[in-house]
Amino acid sequence: MNDAIIISIVMTVVGAATPILLAALGELIVEKSGVLNLGVEGMMLIGAVTGFAVTSVTGVPMIGVFCAMIAATCAALLFGYLTLTLSSNQVATGLALTIFGIGLSSLAGEGYVGKTIDIYASVFPAGLAEHSFFRVIFGYSPIVYFSFFMTFMVAWFLKRTRAGLILRAVGESAGSAHSIGYSVVGVRYAAVAFGGAMAGVGGCYYSMVLTPMWAEELTAGRGWIALALVVFAAWRPGRLLLGAYLFGAVMTFELHAKAAGFSLVAPEFLAAMPYIATIVVLALISLRKSAGAKAPACLAQPFKAST
Amino acid sequence: MLIELTKRKEPSRQMLYLTPVIAVVLTMITGGIIFTLLGYNGAGAVWEIFIKPVINPEKWQDLGVKAAPLILIGVGLSIGFRANVWNIGAEGQYVVGGLAGTGVALLTWEMEGWWILPLMCVGGFIGGAAYAAIPAFLRTKLKVNEILSSLMLTYVSVQLLYYLMRGPWKDPEGFNFPQTRLFNDSQILPTLTEDTIIHMGVPLAFLIALVAWFVMSKTVFGFQVRVVGAAPHAARYGGFDENRTIWLALLMGGGLAGLAGTFEAAGPFGQMVPQFPTGYGFTAIIVAFLGRLHPLGIIGGGLILAISYVGGEGAQTSIGLPNAATGIFQAMMLFFLLATDILINYRLKIGEASAEAAQ
Amino acid sequence: MTKLTRRKILQTSAGAAATLPLIGAPAFGADPLKVGFVYLGPIGDHGWTYAHEQGRQDAIKHFGDKIATTIVENVAEGPDSERVIRNLAQDGHDLIFTTSFGYMQPTLKVAKRYKKIKFEHATGYKRSKNVATYNARFYEGRAVCGTIAGHMSKSGVAGYIASFPIPEVVMGINAFTLAARKVNPKFETKVLWVSSWYDPAKEADAAKALIDQGADVIAQHTDSPAALQACEQRGLMAFGQAWDMSSFAPKAHLTAIANKWGVHYIKSIQGVMDGNWKGGDTWWGFKEGVIEMTPYNERIPADVQAAANATRDGIIDGSAPAFAGPFNDQSGKERVAAGAALNDGDLHKMDWYVEGVQS
Repeated sequence: MNDAIIISIVMTVVGAATPILLAALGELIVEKSGVLNLGVEGMMLIGAVTGFAVTSVTGVPMIGVFCAMIAATCAALLFGYLTLTLSSNQVATGLALTIFGIGLSSLAGEGYVGKTIDIYASVFPAGLAEHSFFRVIFGYSPIVYFSFFMTFMVAWFLKRTRAGLILRAVGESAGSAHSIGYSVVGVRYAAVAFGGAMAGVGGCYYSMVLTPMWAEELTAGRGWIALALVVFAAWRPGRLLLGAYLFGAVMTFELHAKAAGFSLVAPEFLAAMPYIATIVVLALISLRKSAGAKAPACLAQPFKAST
Repeated sequence: MLIELTKRKEPSRQMLYLTPVIAVVLTMITGGIIFTLLGYNGAGAVWEIFIKPVINPEKWQDLGVKAAPLILIGVGLSIGFRANVWNIGAEGQYVVGGLAGTGVALLTWEMEGWWILPLMCVGGFIGGAAYAAIPAFLRTKLKVNEILSSLMLTYVSVQLLYYLMRGPWKDPEGFNFPQTRLFNDSQILPTLTEDTIIHMGVPLAFLIALVAWFVMSKTVFGFQVRVVGAAPHAARYGGFDENRTIWLALLMGGGLAGLAGTFEAAGPFGQMVPQFPTGYGFTAIIVAFLGRLHPLGIIGGGLILAISYVGGEGAQTSIGLPNAATGIFQAMMLFFLLATDILINYRLKIGEASAEAAQ
Repeated sequence: MTKLTRRKILQTSAGAAATLPLIGAPAFGADPLKVGFVYLGPIGDHGWTYAHEQGRQDAIKHFGDKIATTIVENVAEGPDSERVIRNLAQDGHDLIFTTSFGYMQPTLKVAKRYKKIKFEHATGYKRSKNVATYNARFYEGRAVCGTIAGHMSKSGVAGYIASFPIPEVVMGINAFTLAARKVNPKFETKVLWVSSWYDPAKEADAAKALIDQGADVIAQHTDSPAALQACEQRGLMAFGQAWDMSSFAPKAHLTAIANKWGVHYIKSIQGVMDGNWKGGDTWWGFKEGVIEMTPYNERIPADVQAAANATRDGIIDGSAPAFAGPFNDQSGKERVAAGAALNDGDLHKMDWYVEGVQS
């Protein structure tokens, strides 16, 4: 294997990892606040179609990404209104959101099928990405750097800020957080909105960077991988980053190994790997005594202030 | 104008049964308006999707066939939901059940006899139940959240299906197309009469829903499930074993989903194909909620969803409504149902809110 | 605006189907022939379904108001398609085209019950009295692509993104490789199976993996333009699938095999009108005009374009069939001797690769 191949593989892995990392970062915050939003796939699709449509109309990818965030956030707030204000069941509402997102995105994207836009590529001067070594560092879409930045921000937010502490308190013990005087519903609304925005960016990475086009169900179920990833990472941002790249590598490795003439295991087994690994991790973290790695105690439990 | 919510002293039974109807009506009105604004024939869409399949007797058998798996899975899930066991991996249990039934069929493909079909159904039930046993084990032994584990297993099951279709179970005479051989006559569910498409699985699904109603309302098991779900602490003091209930709820849910899988494979499909998972397991969650987790309600919920599917296809040919509209209508239906849920525990007051607030 | 036009198409065609029988027979008493089309994807997929839709448009242009057509898009393979096909039959269609492999059993099942209606199923291998099959000799176009690839590739390595190893795909790979090796005897085709007809992200990654293995031209037997986009980004070359995809990759897109189903549809509809419709299998290619190459990219030098046309003409006049010997199989053993050629029967069950294929 020469350098060029290794560099290309690395870049492919980055492409596979970035969107699930983004969506999973959002869902991590949502789950930390004690809410389970199964609508990630739906929100990603809404982001994907919005990002593509807006970019193809305005020609400015930044606006496309921004609108993708807004649109997906709106979808998330619909989920928030139902589950937080009206205390509906989170599992059912999340599933409905996914069905809704699939339908809405394909309806909205009808006029954009078969069109293409300029790829939202590296913002660095082309000269920098010439050399293969620099390409690994500078050769990506701004969304990739954004995903690293957000990983750092989420980790910092959860660990070092007061707001992060409140968020975790709300997720671990909504009742106590409420009695100290924090607005449980308010915190959760903010978390759900953030989850939507991140899923939106993750979704538009598909339609604007990876394959600059729109087609029905473009994300092909990767929103569910993002959900698995949050659990796999045991709700820790650092592990989330590692996990995203591990999942991305698994998805990419199969194709490269086959193209090079190796076929080690059945491709179906590799495709199932992320999910099997997640279940194993779920079992392992529950075996351990430390509470830090466990699911937020109030996950998927509705909260209604009893006044 | 003011809208005010006041808490009811106890949940309204009236609203419990009325809200699904309200949700469907609201969906029709809102959906009609939205699609009119989008430039489609909105009223026509509502007519085609919700009314036409009901008034056209030719479509009734379609409704039955489409509703049967949804009802069967929905009834199984409702047992778990009542016990606060959130099995959302019914799609996976449906696939594994279908595969187990197919496995029996492939083992017996050169044989014939009345015993083959029952054996396939038993296999399907066991297959689905065994697959649901994984989250049950993880939940009871390791306290692993069953929502997450059952969801993950769904995606594993789909890969298992692909693997079997492309490799070991591929039809040897099928020119390498990824699908199994066709089931033989002893392996196909017979239809009720010569010229209907309603197979034996359809009346059985309705029958099982009725049995479930009896079990849930008249037996100790049903009582136990409801108590564990509503008041786990009380259940513990009452000597009910929570783990036992979790196990039973998941095994029943998985088993019925697996049975539905075998009914589909041995009925409408007549073989196993990679396109087997069509989301019935997820749609059945909507059905269970629409049906208020009550077996009779679930029959209604399954029929409503079937109507929207069948009607959605009709609307494509007759008024050119895109396929995506069906999904939007279904999602709206659930959104409205979940939103109106609040009416069960709260009283909605429109107008000047003053005098009665004292109650 | 694509959106507007498309809806107009849907409504006019569907409206015609619905209203004409009510208005009664046109002046000369001949009811229009009702023709139904069942599509796997959305019309706007710019691939398989889009090509069939173009064929339907050609038929409408040809027959005018002598036919009334109905379409149903996004029809899942399996029981859902059976229901759709049966509904079309019940609605009084005279001829129904089912355009995906997975509709094979459903088409046969419905056809059994509606013996007076003619059915035509694309790409399948099972027929009955009133079920015909049709397909196009795509491999002929693949040979033309192979000739171009042989000339244009600097590395002498092509990447081939493939879905499933069914005969259709296998013969495409072989025809492509044989033609390329006539130009460059050292030419190699690296095949990458992605086990899907449509997964843009995976197809893009597959293209990149093949490029990393030395391929500088990519051919595909999957439906999305993602691989073309990947080649465009890397400044390499690729062939489109099913339709002119040059808008996605103006520089990389060399040519594509366009499916001209209209030629077949017009023939079949005429046959039903004249009462001399015959069942059986239709397998047409360049000669009959069911496939043709889309305009060559201007980066292909004139002499290469001439060579490509020569390959096509040799196939049309039979002087140089795509599978003319001598050639070896993958293991280097001679499979077809000089002067001989494979016949259709051999092609229909092809499950081996020619020399130069790495799969």
